[in-house]
Amino acid sequence: MDAGTLIVTLRTIAVSGVATALSILVGVPLGYILARRRFTGRTILLGFINTGMGMPPVVVGLIVWLLLIRSGPFGGLELIYTPTAMVLAQFVLATPIVIGFTTASFQSLSPQLSDLLRVLGAGRVRMLWLLAWETRLGLLAGVMAAFGAIVSEVGASMIVGGNLERSTRVLTTAIVTETSRGEVERALALGVMLFALSLAVNVLLTVVQQRNRP
Amino acid sequence: MTDIRFEDVRFRRDGRDVLSIPSLHIKADRVTAILGPNGAGKTTLLRLIAALDRPHNGRVLVGGDIADTARRSVSLAFQKEVFLRRSLLENLMLGLTIRGADRGEARDRAMAALRLLDIDALAEKRVDQISGGEGRRASLARALCLHAPVLLLDEPMAGLDGSTYARLLDELPGLVGHSGATAVVVTHNPEEAFRLCDDIVILVNGRVRAAGAKREVATNPQFRDVAEILGYTVVNVSGRLVAIPDGALTLAAGPTELAATVDTVLDVAHEWHVIASIGPTRVHIRVPRSEAPPQSGAGIHLSARVKYEVS
Repeated sequence: MDAGTLIVTLRTIAVSGVATALSILVGVPLGYILARRRFTGRTILLGFINTGMGMPPVVVGLIVWLLLIRSGPFGGLELIYTPTAMVLAQFVLATPIVIGFTTASFQSLSPQLSDLLRVLGAGRVRMLWLLAWETRLGLLAGVMAAFGAIVSEVGASMIVGGNLERSTRVLTTAIVTETSRGEVERALALGVMLFALSLAVNVLLTVVQQRNRP
Repeated sequence: MTDIRFEDVRFRRDGRDVLSIPSLHIKADRVTAILGPNGAGKTTLLRLIAALDRPHNGRVLVGGDIADTARRSVSLAFQKEVFLRRSLLENLMLGLTIRGADRGEARDRAMAALRLLDIDALAEKRVDQISGGEGRRASLARALCLHAPVLLLDEPMAGLDGSTYARLLDELPGLVGHSGATAVVVTHNPEEAFRLCDDIVILVNGRVRAAGAKREVATNPQFRDVAEILGYTVVNVSGRLVAIPDGALTLAAGPTELAATVDTVLDVAHEWHVIASIGPTRVHIRVPRSEAPPQSGAGIHLSARVKYEVS
């Protein structure tokens, strides 16, 4: 593997890894609240979130691009064509997936379980942690689905990142570039790299998920 | 020395009062049964003490503190036992570590509770691998190991089969007594209440119908519903409602004679079962096989050894 491929691979891990981590931080608590609270409009909201789980990356990319370009409302932040912009777009793609899986997972737990934990004296954070661990099969499935979706998307990264060789080129956009240049062998090598990365992450998470299988 | 007080408590669900208790004192260091039919609000009462629900009106005091702030002095064994998907030992240790014990101490106390209930051999088993009776024991062990000043048991005997039931009913008074806690036991079975408890609170439709030491509550029921919950037969005698204790209604002469008409005679192995009418009330009478069966439609005289008038 040459230095260029290595850098692109590491950048892919960094961008999609940070986006996934942020989507967990935001999505798990939101999914937990959606699973436990009853309020008007909840079902409609869940419907939107479930739709969000399958949003076309190109459209999300376009919207984030419109927000971040110079003339856009957040143009002053000068984030367009940076890895941060890519993280942002991927975060928007990943979060509904995490929320959807989290809500379904927590709802599958017995409602008595939270009563039990309250009686035992668990506070809010501890309760969330214990219940999350209890339903980690579903939660980690959500994390894998989210990471899998954003590490393999091209459209959003291309639009908001700009596929700049030195700063925003990731494995998927690199494959598009090499293929259009006729460098099929390099494109294939990058494809293998992407596949290996995805496999490694998923095997790791699956091991955690299935350990002491509930 | 932790007592429980209900002051002007009302709890609503779906716009309906499910519990309405102007005043109730559950005494410290005694075992109190909450006795009542299904849907009387017994579990709701426990949930208010455990601060799982908040009253819409009034307050529940545990040892003088609002139930919400006294949560850690309460432990509750749910009617339908629920566990985390971990080993039995870890399930018991969890509550102890949440309440501040270090892991070593938690392990010791959890094991002691498992031994007390004779299920220490199951300590490393996952909870989905144990039987229903063992699950009930595990649930009790978890409630007991916390050594909380207030111990709440919701139908601890429900759903157990014959021999398991008999064995636990034998053991439970000792276990509860040994805990030294102020105990509240919810049940719909008067026999369990008498066996387990010092005091009885009778709850019907979310209201306290009788409360006090079990002898007082049990020997002179004032109301028809209370008498029926305690296992009395309530019959109408010349326009008065009379409560007769279980087994005190027999054929033949006795202190009080009641005239009845035989409706049905059932043949059951060792005795005749006679269903008779006294006014609009129908009663069951058991007659030894040594006597001839009364004829259907015949008038008979019943005697009640003890009776109480109720309203």
